[in-house]
Amino acid sequence: MAPPAQSQRTQSPSQPSGKGEVSDLKTQLRQLAGSRAPGVDDSKRELFKKVISYMTIGIDVSSVFGEMVMCSVTPDIVLKKMCYLYVGNYAKVNPDLALLTINFLQRDCKDQDPMIRGLALRSLCSLRVANLVEYLVGPLGLGLKDSNSYVRTVAVFGVLKLYHISASTCIDEEFPVTLKHLMLNDPDAQVVANCLTALQEIWSAEASNSEDASREREALISKPVIYYFLNRMRVFSEWAQCTVLELVSKYVPSDNNEIFDIMNLLEDRLQHANGAVVLATIKVFLHLTLSMNDVHQQVYERIKAPLLTLVSSGSPEQSYAVLSHLHLLVMRAPFIFASDYKHFYCQYNEPSYVKKLKLEMLTAVANESNTYEIVTELCEYAANVDIPIARESIRAVGKIALQQYDVNAIVDRLLQFLEMEKDYVTAEALVLVKDLLRKYPQWSQDCIAVVGSISSNNVQEPKAKAALIWMLGEYSQEMHDAPYILESLIENWDEEHSAEVRLHLLTAVMKCFFKRAPETQKALGDALSAGLADFHQDVHDRALFYYRLLQYNVSVAESVVNPPKQAVSVFADTQSSEIKDRIFDEFNSLSVVYQKPSYMFTDKEHRGPFEFSDELGNLSIGAEAAENVAPSLMVEANDKDLLLSTSEEEEIKGPAYNGSAYSAPLYDASSPSVSSLSTQSELAISNPILSGNASQSSFAIDDLLGLVPASAPAPAPLPPQLKLNSKAALDPGTFQQKWRQLSLALSQDFTISPQGVAALTTPQTLLRHMQGHSIHCIASGGQSPNFKFFFFAQKAEEPSNYLVECIINTSSAKAQIKIKADDQTTSQAFSDLFQSALSKFGLS
Amino acid sequence: MAGAASALFLLDIKGRVLIWRDYRGDVSSVQAERFFTKFIEKEDDPKSQDPVVYDSGVTYMFIQHNNVYLMAASRQNCNAASLLLFLHRLVDVFKYYFEELEEESLRDNFVVVYELLDEIMDFGFPQFTEAKILSEFIKTDAYKMEVTQRPPMAVTNAVSWRSEGIQYKKNEVFLDVVESVNILVNSNGQIIRSDVVGALKMRTYLSGMPECKLGLNDKVLLEAQGRTSKGKAIDLDDIKFHQCVRLARFENDRTISFIPPDGAFDLMTYRLSTQVKPLIWVEAQVEKHSRSRIEITVKARSQYKDRSTATNVEIELPVPSDATNPNVRTSMGSAAYAPENDALVWKIKSFPGNKEYMLRAEFSLPSITAEEPAPERKAPIRVKFEIPYFTVSGIQVRYLKIIEKSGYHALPWVRYITKAGEYELRLM
Repeated sequence: MAPPAQSQRTQSPSQPSGKGEVSDLKTQLRQLAGSRAPGVDDSKRELFKKVISYMTIGIDVSSVFGEMVMCSVTPDIVLKKMCYLYVGNYAKVNPDLALLTINFLQRDCKDQDPMIRGLALRSLCSLRVANLVEYLVGPLGLGLKDSNSYVRTVAVFGVLKLYHISASTCIDEEFPVTLKHLMLNDPDAQVVANCLTALQEIWSAEASNSEDASREREALISKPVIYYFLNRMRVFSEWAQCTVLELVSKYVPSDNNEIFDIMNLLEDRLQHANGAVVLATIKVFLHLTLSMNDVHQQVYERIKAPLLTLVSSGSPEQSYAVLSHLHLLVMRAPFIFASDYKHFYCQYNEPSYVKKLKLEMLTAVANESNTYEIVTELCEYAANVDIPIARESIRAVGKIALQQYDVNAIVDRLLQFLEMEKDYVTAEALVLVKDLLRKYPQWSQDCIAVVGSISSNNVQEPKAKAALIWMLGEYSQEMHDAPYILESLIENWDEEHSAEVRLHLLTAVMKCFFKRAPETQKALGDALSAGLADFHQDVHDRALFYYRLLQYNVSVAESVVNPPKQAVSVFADTQSSEIKDRIFDEFNSLSVVYQKPSYMFTDKEHRGPFEFSDELGNLSIGAEAAENVAPSLMVEANDKDLLLSTSEEEEIKGPAYNGSAYSAPLYDASSPSVSSLSTQSELAISNPILSGNASQSSFAIDDLLGLVPASAPAPAPLPPQLKLNSKAALDPGTFQQKWRQLSLALSQDFTISPQGVAALTTPQTLLRHMQGHSIHCIASGGQSPNFKFFFFAQKAEEPSNYLVECIINTSSAKAQIKIKADDQTTSQAFSDLFQSALSKFGLS
Repeated sequence: MAGAASALFLLDIKGRVLIWRDYRGDVSSVQAERFFTKFIEKEDDPKSQDPVVYDSGVTYMFIQHNNVYLMAASRQNCNAASLLLFLHRLVDVFKYYFEELEEESLRDNFVVVYELLDEIMDFGFPQFTEAKILSEFIKTDAYKMEVTQRPPMAVTNAVSWRSEGIQYKKNEVFLDVVESVNILVNSNGQIIRSDVVGALKMRTYLSGMPECKLGLNDKVLLEAQGRTSKGKAIDLDDIKFHQCVRLARFENDRTISFIPPDGAFDLMTYRLSTQVKPLIWVEAQVEKHSRSRIEITVKARSQYKDRSTATNVEIELPVPSDATNPNVRTSMGSAAYAPENDALVWKIKSFPGNKEYMLRAEFSLPSITAEEPAPERKAPIRVKFEIPYFTVSGIQVRYLKIIEKSGYHALPWVRYITKAGEYELRLM
C-alpha cells in the first residue's frame, strides 16, 4: 500500500500522470454507485482495480474516497476487499473521510458471511484513527464472541490494534480479561495463539504502569498456563508453536523432574521441519537446564544434529540465521562442535555472508586435535576464493594461531602466505605475523627472516605497512637492512597518506636509533623534521615529544620509547560476559545475529514482551550512565580486529602503563554500565530513585579523583560484633569492578518469614529496611515472585567492603545470598548480620 | 515470538517498492525504499550482502527470488530465523498462485497479492502460510466466484493443513525418495567432507481425510521389532518431519503416521553423515605447454554398480578466463565451452556404472598478459547427475498404507533417485 506521499516519484511517460484519469474515475464511479443493473459488479471491479493500481504505483487517488465508499455496498467479496484496502490506506491521512467508512464497516461486521465479518472487523481496527475508537468497541466485543473462529482470530488481534491506538479504552473495556478467558477456553488453536501473542504484548507494555498487569504477565508463565499450552502443542500452527515455545523458555520449573518432563514432551519438536520451531525448542532446552550442569552438556549433544542439518539444508538465509546461533553456542561450549568442523567448510558458490560465518565457526571450534585440518582448509581459501573471503581466511588462521598453544605448523603457513606474492595476502599476513610476534616472541628468528625479504614497495595497505614498520623497529637488531628500509620510507614521507603509518614510522626509527645509532642518525633527523612539519596533529605532537625527550636525555628516551616488553598473553576479549549472557537470554532473536543485546538496536517502545528485569546485569544502578554515549563505546568494544589502533601504542607508554592500561579503564567503565542501561530505563519508571543515591554519586566523583578522606585504617583488634558504617558509600563502577575481582566468600540459602514475604511487594520496601541496618542497596530489579538485589556495606572503622548478591523468591519464601568481601575472614560475621537484618523485615 | 514485523515489501531488482503491506504503521515504504535502493546499489553483488541488515532503528530481512526481493521490516527484536523462513514460505505461496514469482506476475496479480498479504500475516504475526488452505478463500480468478465465501474448514479445525471434503476420482499417491550427495574433495584427492541429505517428497491425490502409514527399513524400528536386519536396515541421522506427521507417535514406536496435506509436500527429510564413496570421480590434469597453450585432460569414472546408470551428467570444468579457441575431444558425450562461466561443460546423457570416460581439451591463451593479472579464482570442478532407482543410504519404503473411512483403494507409487547436491572436486 503506497501512501499518497509517494507521488513525487518520477513517473515514466507511459504511466498515467494522475489528475485527468482520477477525475474520470470519479465520474464513472459515481455513475455506478447507485446502479443496480446486472453486471454492474463487473464494471465496478474494473474501476476498483484501476484505483488500486494507481494507488500502488503511488498516484494519489484519495479524492475518490466518497465514491469508493458509496460503491462499497455490494455482496461481492473481492470488491469489498479492494474497498477495505483503499480505505485502510487513506483513512489515516483523511480522518474526516474515514468517519464515512465507519458506517459501512460496522454494517459489514454484522454480515451473515463470516468471511465478510472478519475482513470488515480487521479493516475497522486497522484504521488507526484515534477519534474513531469509540466505534471499535462494539464490533470488537461482538467479534470476540462470534461463532466463527475466523472472526474471533481477527478480533483478538483487533484488540491488540485497539490497544495501540488507545491503551486506556482497551483496558477500560476489559478486553484483556476477555482475551485471557478465550486463551484458556477457545477450541480453536489459532484464536488461542493470537490471544497469547496479544496478551504478552499488552501486559508487557502495561507492566510498568500497573501492578495488576505485571502480575498478569507473570501469570502467563505460571505452571497451569504453561502446562495448558504444552499439552496442546500439536494443534498449533508452526508459527504459533514458536510463540508458545518462546513463552515456555521463560518458565521456571519447580524441580528437576518437571524439567525432564517438559524436555521429554518437547523432544519431538526438534524433528520439526520448520527451522524456527527447532530453534525455539533448543532455546527452551538450554534455558531450562541452565542450572543443571551435566544435563546442560547433554542438551548440547542432543541439539547438535538438528542444528547441523539446518545449516546444511534449506536456504542460505536459514544457514545464516542458524550459523549465528551456532556461533553463540560455540562461544559458550567450544567443545560441542569440535569434531564436526567439516560441516563448516565453505562450498564454492555459497553466498559470502554464509562463508564469513563459517570461517568464524572454524576459528571458534579449532582446538589441538583439529587445528591442522582446519588451517589446511583455510589456506585453500586464501589461495582460491574471492578476495574478501581470502582475507577473512588469513585472519582466521591468525586468530587460531593466537588461541593455540602449539603454533609451529601455523607459523609456517603464515610465512608461506608472505611468499605467495599476492598483495592482499601479504598485507593480511604481515598484520598477523606482527600480532603473533607480540604473543610469541620466540618465533622472531623465523619470521624476521621472511619479513626481511619483503619489499616495502609491495606493501601498500596502511595496516600492513604499519605492521611491517613496527617489526622493522622492534627487530632492527636482527634485520640487517632495517635502518636503510626505514630511511627510504622516510624519504617518501610526503607520499605517505596514512597518519597511522607515519606515527609508526616515527616510533620505529626511534627504536632503530637506540640499537644502531650510527646508521640511523640521519634517518632519525629526517623523520623528526618531517614529523614536526606534519599537518596531522598527532604526528606533529609525537615528533615534538620525541625530539624533546632526546634533547633531555637519550637513555631516558630509550626507557620510554623502547622499554623491555613482555609477551602479550591474552588479547583483550572484546565483549564482556554480561553482554554475552544478555545475548544468550535473547536466543533465537536478532540479538544473536547482531551479537548485541536488543536494547542496543531497538527503541524503548519496541522492546518485545518479557524482557525481564531480574536477569543478571539487568540492574537499576543509581549512577547516571549516559545512554547516548553507550552505543558508540560499544562499537569500539565490538571491533574484533586484532590490530592495535593508533591509540594503542604500547611502546610510548612506560612500563608502569603496560599494555592496554590506557584503554582499560575506559572499557571497564563502559561495559558494565552499558549492560545495565536498558534496565535502568525500564526500571527507573517503577523505582523511585533512592534517597541515598544523590549523595552517593557525588561521593563517587570524589572517589574517582582520589579525594576520599581516607579514614585512617585503625589497626585495632577486631571487635567481636561487626559494626557497619551507616554512611557507607560505593559507586556502581567500583562495585562492578570489585564484584568481578573478588572471589566468592560465602554463599547461603535460607528461608524468609511469611511477614517478610508479605511485605516484599516491591524492591523498594526492602531497600529502606536494609538501609536502616547500614546495608545499602546499589542495584535492584525484578517483579514478584523473583527479586534480585545487590547490596554493599562497609565496616565502621575501616574501608573494607562487603558485597552481596541476594535473590529472593517470594513464592517459595527462599533467599539466596552470595557474599564477597575485601576481608574474607569477617564474611561469616557479616552474613549473620545480614540474615538477622533480613529476618526482621516485615515485622515492624 | 520475540517480536512482530512492521511491514512486508515486495521490491523490484533495483529495490523499488512494487507492493507493500503495512502491518504496524511504524515503518514507511519511503523510508524502506530509500534505504534498500541505496543498500543494493552500494554493493556490486547484492547476493554477498547479509540477509539481515540494520538501519536507523529498523531491521530489514530480505531474500531474493528471480527479479524480486521479498523483505520484512521490523523495529522490534524479532525472531530472525522465523521471519526469513516465513519469507520463503511466501515465495511458495506466490509460486502456487502465479506459477512463477517474478516482477511481472506480481504486477499482473496485484489484487490477489494484496489479498494474500492480508491473510498471511496479521499485525506483524504470521497466520496462515499453507497455499492450499489460502487458495480456498482467495481465488486467483476472482470472476469465477459465484458462491459466497466461507472461511474454509481448515482454518478452524485441528488438521490445519487439510480441508475436509476433498474428492478425487482416482486416488493416488506418489512418493519420491530423493537423496542428494554433497561432497567436497580437496586438491590431493582426499574427501574432506561428504554427506547425504534425503527427502521423501509426496504428491497426494486422495479423497476425504485419509490416514497414512509409512514403513521404512529403519534400523531402530526393525531392531525393536526383533527382526534381525540383514544389512538392509539403515540408520538415519536427524530426521525431520512435515507438521502433519504425529511426532509423538514416531518417538514412541517409530511409526510414521499422518493425514497428508493435499498436493505436493516434503513428508520427511534426513541426513546421513557417514562417508560415501564419490559416485562419480573426476580427475583433471592441467598442463600449460607454453605461454599460449593450455591442455586439460579429464578422466571421469563411475563408481557404482553396473546395473545403475546415471543420467544427465554434467561436469563443469573451470578454465582460465582468457582462454580461447577451444578444441575438445571426448570419448563419450559432448562438451561445450561456456565462456560466461569460465568453464567447459561436459554433458553425458547416460553414464553406466563402472565405466570410465575421457575428455581432452586444448585452449589458446593470449600471448600478451595484462600487467597486473586479475587474481585467479580457482573454481572447483562441479558435477551434476541423477541416478534413478538407486539410493546411497539404501533406504527402502516397505509399505505405504492408506486408510480412509469410505474404504477406497488408493495406489501408491514409489520412486527412488539419487542426485548430486553440492558436489565439488578441487583442482590440483
